[in-house]
Amino acid sequence: MNEVAREVRLNAAFVKLADTLVADYDVIDLLHTLMEECIGLFDIQAGGLMLANTLGTLELVASTSERADFVEVMQLAAGAGPCIDCFSTGKAVAVADIEATATKWPEFRDAALKQGFHSVHATPLRLREQTIGTMNLFGTRSEALSPTDADAAQALADVATIGILQERLIRESDIVTEQLQHALDSRILIEQAKGVLSETGSMDMDEAFTALRSYARSHNLSLRTVAEGITSRSLDVFGTDTVRSTTTK
Amino acid sequence: MIVEGAPIGADTSVDATLREVGEALCRRFVELLPVTGVSMSIIGGTGQSTIGASDPVSARLEELQFELGEGPHWQVLSTGRPVLASDLQAEHSQWPIFGASALELRVGALFSLPLVMGAVTVGVVDMYRSVPGMLGAGMVARALSLATSTAGVALRLAAQSANEDALIAGMMAPEMRREVHQATGMVLAQLGTTATEAFSRLQAYAFSNGQTVQYVANEVVMRRLSFRDLTE
Repeated sequence: MNEVAREVRLNAAFVKLADTLVADYDVIDLLHTLMEECIGLFDIQAGGLMLANTLGTLELVASTSERADFVEVMQLAAGAGPCIDCFSTGKAVAVADIEATATKWPEFRDAALKQGFHSVHATPLRLREQTIGTMNLFGTRSEALSPTDADAAQALADVATIGILQERLIRESDIVTEQLQHALDSRILIEQAKGVLSETGSMDMDEAFTALRSYARSHNLSLRTVAEGITSRSLDVFGTDTVRSTTTK
Repeated sequence: MIVEGAPIGADTSVDATLREVGEALCRRFVELLPVTGVSMSIIGGTGQSTIGASDPVSARLEELQFELGEGPHWQVLSTGRPVLASDLQAEHSQWPIFGASALELRVGALFSLPLVMGAVTVGVVDMYRSVPGMLGAGMVARALSLATSTAGVALRLAAQSANEDALIAGMMAPEMRREVHQATGMVLAQLGTTATEAFSRLQAYAFSNGQTVQYVANEVVMRRLSFRDLTE
């Protein structure tokens, strides 16, 4: 991508993210959008965004893939790997060649290489002196992000932080935890709803997430609302769709 | 304050006893909310267990509710919704025996909240205040948020009490693994039940087969185990 086209696209990404900050937006959907935008903006092939829970453990809340093997790579990176290092230092961690890390994070290294990832760039989600999570970008080539790209990644991470915490509320310090907790609990609810869809629709978890997300979008509902409806069995994603397709015939 | 200070559960290692950690979890509610005392319990594979109380009165209130089988605690468990009795003198008759016993302990108000993990109620936080008075909307929101952020830690603590060495394997707490939540949803659909019931069935199955919840969840997600095929 040439510089001008890239600049245009980056600006478009900010506008898109800014749009979602208006009124009643869906934080998990915002974070998914952000990760998807990163694939187009940078020379990377996968990404995941992690937030810290009450224990200070990082949990994956949004990613470009819901596949179990990718989730596993992220979890290892959060246990002993670039994500936890980024989180604990509050500074970006760039690994241009994962293979060359040798024995630093053996489990993460093996899992990442097995998935075909050779580089990773972890960017902190920071609010003043506090780090609330990390945004992690994976590439299949062993090459670091350029300094410009690293800056752009930080800017996107800052937007995500605002999206999660909502600027107008952050003056009250304990609200930070509440907003974070809401995002983390929404993620749990989404996993439970994926399980329901996977069972009733005989689909894998990736397809279940896609079904949930498309339903939320086409009905203008938040992912959390749809997930709540699915887990309380008051909403039948497949049933409604069947009804709709028959009535529109 | 919630944000600053050490993350809770950070010292769950060697020295701190489980009881101390449970009490610390309860004290957090006392520090951040206008309440006198707090107790907390978790539903595990073998039923409910108390993981801590901030003071003797809270411990006694919890004990009474367990013995009598009545009180706000049970109401929260059956509805999954908070119970806020801001003036016990006026409201105690809904729990005839427990209400009277609580008044004898000079309790002015009772607030009970579910500990939730997504759609699952994993336990209850019982709080009391020595004088009557409402929890404002902001305080209720704070209490619910505290309860949500405590659910995972409390659940882990309860699991640890039940089987001490089964835990500290790896950084990732079992309740945080996605497979457990996904399996909960699958079992929910297989049995046509609630998320809370599905999660207890997972726990009970794991317990009676000497397996971890994580392992059973993986079997369910991989479709090697279906609760549809199991008889009660």
